[in-house]
Amino acid sequence: MGDRPAFERLVRRYQDRVFRFILRMVGIRDEAMDLAQETFLKAYRALPGWRPEARFSTWLFQIARNAALDALRRRRHIDFVSLTSGPDEEAIDPCDTAPLPEELLADKQRIGLLERALRELPVEQREILLLRELEDMSYADIAATLNIEVGTVKSRIARARVAVLAHYRHHAGESCHD
Amino acid sequence: MTDPVRPHLPDMIRLSGYLDGELDGATQREMETHLAACPPCAERLAELRALTAAFDALPQDTLGFDLAGMIAGRLAAAPRPSPERPAPRWWGLLPASLGAAAALTLGTGIGSVLIGGGAAMPRMAAMSVFDTLPPGGLCLGPDSCYSKGARK
Repeated sequence: MGDRPAFERLVRRYQDRVFRFILRMVGIRDEAMDLAQETFLKAYRALPGWRPEARFSTWLFQIARNAALDALRRRRHIDFVSLTSGPDEEAIDPCDTAPLPEELLADKQRIGLLERALRELPVEQREILLLRELEDMSYADIAATLNIEVGTVKSRIARARVAVLAHYRHHAGESCHD
Repeated sequence: MTDPVRPHLPDMIRLSGYLDGELDGATQREMETHLAACPPCAERLAELRALTAAFDALPQDTLGFDLAGMIAGRLAAAPRPSPERPAPRWWGLLPASLGAAAALTLGTGIGSVLIGGGAAMPRMAAMSVFDTLPPGGLCLGPDSCYSKGARK
């Protein structure tokens, strides 16, 4: 795992996935490019500490996530609202996701609304949706990446889905209680 | 799941887990039965599926260049990572200015001993930089400065 040609193959394999994840976390392309590069450099330096029993992709996304969070903290754009105490156990109001026809979300124009809604989510919800919906990670891998319990992953993903749909409806001019 | 006959609020956590195939087998089957008889829950599930479909339709941004080549250049100029690094010497943790101040103080002390004799020499407070815990909030190890269990 220490030779550079092998590492370069890993970079080529993961560079776009890592870049996309970071880009949707920080929202700025140039910054995401820098952070993607920083992620792989950090990964290379940390390779001796990587445990083979941990999936490489999970480990890599941990590094990418930390780089993105550091960047957001530097910009002071991070939302520090904790979702781990209390709200995870609260009931989720399904009215927040009142009927939303599939054809509306499939519409390209509506995709822009979804991107906007995604950007407005608290970081904790945004990152978990990205890992699930875009990276197709299992709950176990997400738990390992975010260093949280699988039960928390389950409830947080549900909450994030409800939230992003609520934001979407808001921007689409719809109201749950109409 | 709730009795399908009686009106109820859809359990979004279960619906979300069902969508992802992350429920245990028995619960997954229970949900299937429930969804067949509960239009509100089926409707919510359709929304979650639509959301997943919308994520699939998001633009697939790419870097647009070979990051590996760029990183190879930077790595070529850097030393290879080593699993075993020598432990940093403790004075490596001290800032250069503090080290310089300590050296100056030490020199002054030795000079005063040579010139004026040791009997009248005042106690030099600055020598406290050699205490176990250095001043200025510097930590010689994580146990020295940080309490355990502080996370979360």
